[in-house]
Amino acid sequence: MIMPRLLKNSALILSLLLSGAGTLLAQSTSSPYSIFGIGILEGNSIGPSKGMGGTGIAFLSDMSVNSMNPASYSGIDSLLTIFEVGIFGKYSSFTTLQDKQSDVNANLKYVLMGFRVNPRLATSFGFMPVSSIGYNINAKAPIEGTNQQYIETYSGTGGVNQIYGGASFKILKNLSLGVNAAYLFGNITRMESSAAFDYSYKDVTYVANFDFNYGLNYQLKIKKWKYNLGIIYSRSKDLRTKNTTTITTPTGTQTLKEYTYDYSIPQNLGAGIAVSKGFFRAGIDFERSDWQNIEFTNVYFQTRNSNRYSFGAEFPLPGDRKGTGKMIFLRFGGEYRQSYLLVDNVAIDGGTLTLGTGLPLKGTLNAINVALEFGKIGTTKRGLIREDYIGIHLDMSLRDLWFRKRMYD
Amino acid sequence: MKGNGEGKEGKQIFSFTSVFLLIPIIFVTGLIFISSCTKKYEFNMGQDFFDSQTRLQVIDTFSVNLSTVLLDSLKTSSTKIALAGNYRDDIFGSVNVGAYFDLGYQDFEDIEDKAIYDSAAFSLRYNGYSYGDTTSLLKLDIHMLTENIEPYSGYLYNTSSFDYSPEVIGSVSFYPAPESVDTAVYLPVNALGEDLFNKIRDNDENLSNSELFSDYLKGFIITSGSPDNKSVIGFTADDDNLKLIIYYHQDAEEPELKEITISMGQENHQFNSVKFDHTNTPLNDIRTEGNVMPSTRTDNYGFLQGMVGLIPKLQFPTLQEILAVQRWKILKAELVLEPVYESYDLFRLPENLYIYDTDRENRVNTILLDDKGNPLTATLAQDDIYEEEVRYTYDITKFINDELSDAYFDYDHGLMPGLADDDFTSSLDRLLIECKYPPIKLRIYFLTY
Repeated sequence: MIMPRLLKNSALILSLLLSGAGTLLAQSTSSPYSIFGIGILEGNSIGPSKGMGGTGIAFLSDMSVNSMNPASYSGIDSLLTIFEVGIFGKYSSFTTLQDKQSDVNANLKYVLMGFRVNPRLATSFGFMPVSSIGYNINAKAPIEGTNQQYIETYSGTGGVNQIYGGASFKILKNLSLGVNAAYLFGNITRMESSAAFDYSYKDVTYVANFDFNYGLNYQLKIKKWKYNLGIIYSRSKDLRTKNTTTITTPTGTQTLKEYTYDYSIPQNLGAGIAVSKGFFRAGIDFERSDWQNIEFTNVYFQTRNSNRYSFGAEFPLPGDRKGTGKMIFLRFGGEYRQSYLLVDNVAIDGGTLTLGTGLPLKGTLNAINVALEFGKIGTTKRGLIREDYIGIHLDMSLRDLWFRKRMYD
Repeated sequence: MKGNGEGKEGKQIFSFTSVFLLIPIIFVTGLIFISSCTKKYEFNMGQDFFDSQTRLQVIDTFSVNLSTVLLDSLKTSSTKIALAGNYRDDIFGSVNVGAYFDLGYQDFEDIEDKAIYDSAAFSLRYNGYSYGDTTSLLKLDIHMLTENIEPYSGYLYNTSSFDYSPEVIGSVSFYPAPESVDTAVYLPVNALGEDLFNKIRDNDENLSNSELFSDYLKGFIITSGSPDNKSVIGFTADDDNLKLIIYYHQDAEEPELKEITISMGQENHQFNSVKFDHTNTPLNDIRTEGNVMPSTRTDNYGFLQGMVGLIPKLQFPTLQEILAVQRWKILKAELVLEPVYESYDLFRLPENLYIYDTDRENRVNTILLDDKGNPLTATLAQDDIYEEEVRYTYDITKFINDELSDAYFDYDHGLMPGLADDDFTSSLDRLLIECKYPPIKLRIYFLTY
């Protein structure tokens, strides 16, 4: 019974993943801080969690897939197949002590799906970013031998993506364990170029490896209240890399060197607590990434262990629709994320406040989750850059009752 | 199944509340994306985080050897320009230009017996070109050829000549107004006109066919009529503009003025011959030195002049030193020529300079092309007020990269800055460049990494 369903769905999953991949592979961000390491870390939260400060380690998946914790899949409604597609757009204002500049950026971020296979097993598959790189910085460089300068542009694109497949097992009535098997891949492309002199010096690092991350969710019911504890863990791992450096001028492209080196992603440990009653839920997260032992060959920055703290809550708009399919959710939350980088010994921590809503789509089980994010990263101290941004997350949560139909056949 | 639970109430609530929530979101988003952003090419924050892997430098210390080549001959036929006059100065020496042409045969109409000859003149129309000092009086003579103009394989050259009678059959002295394009100068040839008039009236057998006609009128040369001339002037040479006009009238109570027009003959029979003399100029010995002289023996000058056939040659003796450096690219190579200061007061600087490649035999080979396949031109940068920094700049990146691509630079493979082909064969345009100061620069934008 299970296999035909999986087969039937797998074609769709694959086509969705591939169509998403094409766009996502070109994903980018827009931040000068993405020049370091593997870029800006994207975080695993999606959908409703985006409106709650990215909080979700202890939340069980329900009408949306919670990709932060693989153990959460067991909460997926037994009758639903859920697709999630997310888009993020951002307006950033960058400030230094001397100057202020701005940029906009919008990208498709993730495509994933989740469904319950049987009462004890639920799965999710998807495509998500791990990190992204996007910058275009124009620097004045001297033309040696003259008193002139020219504009040399440093640009970066790429990032690390993941295709994952995960499963959640309900071991006990209140205890779920989950695992995601992910294939991490992508490229880190950095370029130095000049429009005036028509050259580009390009360094592309392709990265790839498998990654596993694990999760646990334990639920305690006391009267009408449910209390959840979530734990997530992933080991440190090396990414396999292949690096190619080329130079391109009007006379052609020449490969200068090809080599491999180790690129590491740190051990990650997170815990969260959530409370819920009826359609209300709230939670807090704590996450720690052990970047300290991971070294990059850049003299401008050091790594350190970084923590993330967040909180968030969700409640339905009061009124007659509460408890029906037309219920509207409101969400809010906040997050503080320590940077894993110290640039010139200065931390470039970031904080955000979020406001979100979940809107049902008329006549369907589908919903749109919208979240506004007001954030700040970095500081103007020591000649550094502060980024203030307003972001908007749009998440389409497409739900269908495939399996119930199947049962009626 | 999808529509379950949908009702009147649901519809209302969705539209109200959702719209209520969506409006501010759309508004805020719209505001964000519409508001102006820093242009992509202006964004510069974060530049301190980079260590450039590349280094761009300009090297302009490569030596450039300059010499002047005198070309054997230049095709000057079929240029549609007749040039005549002479000019001399102490740098380029003297030039004396004569315009050869013949007249076309026509079936002459009968003239009434009572027709009376008045006068005849060659009509010469300015084509706009002049060389030298046009404020001085110019005297031009015309002679009859004693042999027919015969092109060699279809062409005639600046060095070609045909015998002509020493007798001057017509002469005109005038202050040239070359800017009055299409205005005519009349060169009277009354005796010739009368002879021709009589022959036409008498149906002379010399006019009965083209062979006899060209035997009778073999051709003409307009020569400089005085050693005191100070200019060479250009006239349009085609069958509409270069012609002999015979004026006559009817012997009647109210005389009717009439004319007979005889146009220039074959296009490739029209050419300009150039006699030049470099005595007592820096190029004094160029003939005896095999038609090439290094700038070290010509006061550090390089000479370019159309119709005479002077062309500078540039060679790059130290360029191969660049091959000793590791990991480099030439992003741009510019060749900068500066005209000798005050050498172009009387003579306009050529607006467009082209460049040709040359070889050990000093041949003018192919013209260098730009990226789009058009002839590569040098841009003239000129400061009209101070006359400083007047210079021509060629972008010869492709030439230099091509030459170095086989890791060997051939010293014999040089460049010749020149005029457009048309100007080189139909004008005396000139340019004096200096090798010592200001020097000729090969400016290379050199990227190492």
